[in-house]
Amino acid sequence: MLFHTWPFLMFLLVVLPVFFALRKTRLWLPWLTVASYFFYGWWNPYYLFLVVYSTVLDFCLVAMMDHCPRTGEKVDALALLGGWRFADRVLKIAFIVSAAATLGSLAMALAGPQTLRPAMFVLGMLALLMALGALRSNRRIWLFISLVNNLVLLLFFKYARFVVENLNSVFASLHLPAKLPDPSALMPFGFEYLLPVGISFFTFQSLSYTIDFYLGNVPRERNILRFATFVCFFPQLMAGPIERAKHLLPQFRQFPPFRLRNFTDGASLFLVGLFKKLALANYLAFYVERVYDHPRAFGAPALMMATFAFGWQIFFDFSGYTDMARGVARLMGFDLILNFNNPYLATGLGDFWSRWHISLSTWFRDYVYIPLGGNKHGTFKTYRNLFLTFFISGIWHGAAWTFLIWGILHATGIMITRELERSAFYRERVPRLVKQFGVFAFVSFAWIFFRASSLDDATLIVNRISSAAWHDPQMPALMLALVAVVWLYQFCCESRFREILQTGVVRVGVAVSMVLYLCLCASGGGAFIYFQF
Amino acid sequence: MAPAIQTKPPDSPFVNEVRLNAWHWAAVFGIMLVVATLTPPLWKKLERFETGPDYRIPYALSKDYWLYERRLQQIRPTNIVVLGDSVVWGEYVLPDGTWSHFLNQETGATNQFVNAGVNGLFPLALEGLVHCYGQSLRHRRVMLHCNLLWMTSPKADLSTEKEERFNHAALVPQFFPRIPCYRAEANERLNAMVERNVPFFEWVSHLQNAYFGQQSIPKWTLNEEGGDPPRYPNTYRNPFSQITLTVPPESPNDPERGPQSPRHKPWSTDAAGTTRFDWVALDKSLQWRAFQRVIETLRERGNDVLVVLGPFNEHMLAGENRPAYMEIHDGVVTWLATKQIPHVAPDPLPSALYADASHPLTPGYQLLANRLCHDAAFQKWMNAK
Repeated sequence: MLFHTWPFLMFLLVVLPVFFALRKTRLWLPWLTVASYFFYGWWNPYYLFLVVYSTVLDFCLVAMMDHCPRTGEKVDALALLGGWRFADRVLKIAFIVSAAATLGSLAMALAGPQTLRPAMFVLGMLALLMALGALRSNRRIWLFISLVNNLVLLLFFKYARFVVENLNSVFASLHLPAKLPDPSALMPFGFEYLLPVGISFFTFQSLSYTIDFYLGNVPRERNILRFATFVCFFPQLMAGPIERAKHLLPQFRQFPPFRLRNFTDGASLFLVGLFKKLALANYLAFYVERVYDHPRAFGAPALMMATFAFGWQIFFDFSGYTDMARGVARLMGFDLILNFNNPYLATGLGDFWSRWHISLSTWFRDYVYIPLGGNKHGTFKTYRNLFLTFFISGIWHGAAWTFLIWGILHATGIMITRELERSAFYRERVPRLVKQFGVFAFVSFAWIFFRASSLDDATLIVNRISSAAWHDPQMPALMLALVAVVWLYQFCCESRFREILQTGVVRVGVAVSMVLYLCLCASGGGAFIYFQF
Repeated sequence: MAPAIQTKPPDSPFVNEVRLNAWHWAAVFGIMLVVATLTPPLWKKLERFETGPDYRIPYALSKDYWLYERRLQQIRPTNIVVLGDSVVWGEYVLPDGTWSHFLNQETGATNQFVNAGVNGLFPLALEGLVHCYGQSLRHRRVMLHCNLLWMTSPKADLSTEKEERFNHAALVPQFFPRIPCYRAEANERLNAMVERNVPFFEWVSHLQNAYFGQQSIPKWTLNEEGGDPPRYPNTYRNPFSQITLTVPPESPNDPERGPQSPRHKPWSTDAAGTTRFDWVALDKSLQWRAFQRVIETLRERGNDVLVVLGPFNEHMLAGENRPAYMEIHDGVVTWLATKQIPHVAPDPLPSALYADASHPLTPGYQLLANRLCHDAAFQKWMNAK
């Protein structure tokens, strides 16, 4: 169910009135949970198992963490076990249940049906860790379980095939007889091995809650429905923004204020998102696909223009999705964080990452870069941390070498711009427009690796761009004009001309133009690019 | 200690100025309402749509239902509307070789019989066409063609479970009654329903059909014209210049149609032998039920309906296949008689006058019109009122 399709409109026409009708009861939250699960199950009902599993487990893990003594209090596990005296009754029950689950799962892993054995083994190990966590009354172990569980899910569904294929090709090149089985062989009950939509988003969101609780940034959520709604809140479930418990969970504590402004703002955000997706992203996609699907058939100008087009396509596609997500949430009175802030107006790569996919950048900043040490331990370690953060960010985007290179390119770029920004000349003399163009050119170059179907294609495109002769790129003038108009609008938004854009006539004019364009020229459906992540 | 709970949601930040308040939205709705309401009728006044004798909706505009509706609205009350699929439209013939042309010729009338056939149509789509775009067919005389071709197999009847792609999918019932082989996604089905019921969207579809080669404007700008390297003729063209405000007419020298066309030849010249059809019984046929509903709708609207059954190319039938065909043929005739619906079931034409199982060639239409005009039931129907 994509935001820009009729089924979603029907879904919303049911969900919204019921949601508002229930505002004076306690049922509005369960309704939101049910609606979110329905929304997610629409893609594939089996995916629901994953999201429910992830939710319940993280909810329980935080509850266990809450029952453990704070850091610094030592627990003698052996004495505890020997005397069968747990300080906390909940932990005692958790230990019994986990120990039983460990035995049961391992027994199934040894003697159960063949298709269930791998899954049972993993569950057994997880239960064993939980028993250990209960026994040791150690918050870190519970956090570790949450990290392992979420990351294993992510790694298995997203990267297992990539890893297996690469290892098998290494074994083959070394003439080793080993061959790892395809990950689909590990699926229980013969389920199809598919990447569950939005898994990178909801696992990160759920994970952020457990880490934030561990760090003492958020209180424990005692209502599982509220937590489930936080994890699977339908507007942002598929492709973010990746919300933080601190921001979104409190909003589910009481029915949001019923204001007309919510509707007008929500509709405004949705319209802009719809326009970005249907009128711009989908249109640009036609040209990008034409060139990138057959890069050998095109010369430098077409490849350059297609790369330029892709830069805008992915921006319109992803920011269009988040605009619509924020708009839908706003219609209900909820606020989702800003995810894009005119990134192609950035004057440095650091600035770019504070404007592009903000929820992911801040996630990596808070949970990877800062825990690694951030910029507190000198230049070398700062750059090492930056490199690692962007390396992981590259991997997060997908299981392919091209994404890795994309991450490394950004890491390198950010180091270079940091160094450049140290010089007074660059800071004060280089015109803002030149910096903006430089950032845009670099980001566009990096997009080649993001978009290319393979590493071979990416290198071919880079080679061709730098060598082939001139020819007509055949990029439609209408397409170019649309991008130019949007870019100009963004420039105006960050200039003294913003006042003109704020006048009612211009606002209405822009909105009418967008609606008219959508009615007359919309380029049809197509899923969002970031759903694959 | 955990931080204090934040209860009031912060205000959504906007990075652009498209943040409309209630008054702005009211203005947008008002403007769009005016545009959407006035554009289609105004367009009808602005756009030249020349129909003239023997006019039929051009093949390229077969899916321009807004134009079809407009065509029906132009028909005078004294005209007889010949309604049906490509047999009525004239798949292998030029406009002056169609059934309606020869009916006019035989009856000596000038443009009395109007070709309202649509290429690629079938009863399930005809139902949608009549229901949504044929509202102007009220208190008229309608000659409705019944083509048994659509019951020759479960596939033709659209009653197989295996997914099938077919023409005019936007016209068939999208949800009820269920068409087993129609597996379009919910969005496509809802889109078809919205387009059918909102004149503004029908008009947009007309624009795309008439001026942009049945595609959206963005897709039109990306059109590819073969060759190595391929050519993209519309890359730098101004889309507005395409809108000539004249409905494109049918090409007078269509190489695919007419006596000079290589397709215009008897079916038997391809050395195709008789065929054994897997006929679908009337009580199980989706197409037949749809056809019955079409008749009911037309009659409920006060139309005087005459059904012409076939003539199917019986020469094509394998011997053992004939009883099944006759059962269906007779079943249709019986039902029409029971419901007191005027009908004619002409004898089959000579084999050499068929291009395939159901489409006559130019002389075939001529003979059919001639036979029809001498048929007592037809004459009675013509002379009524």
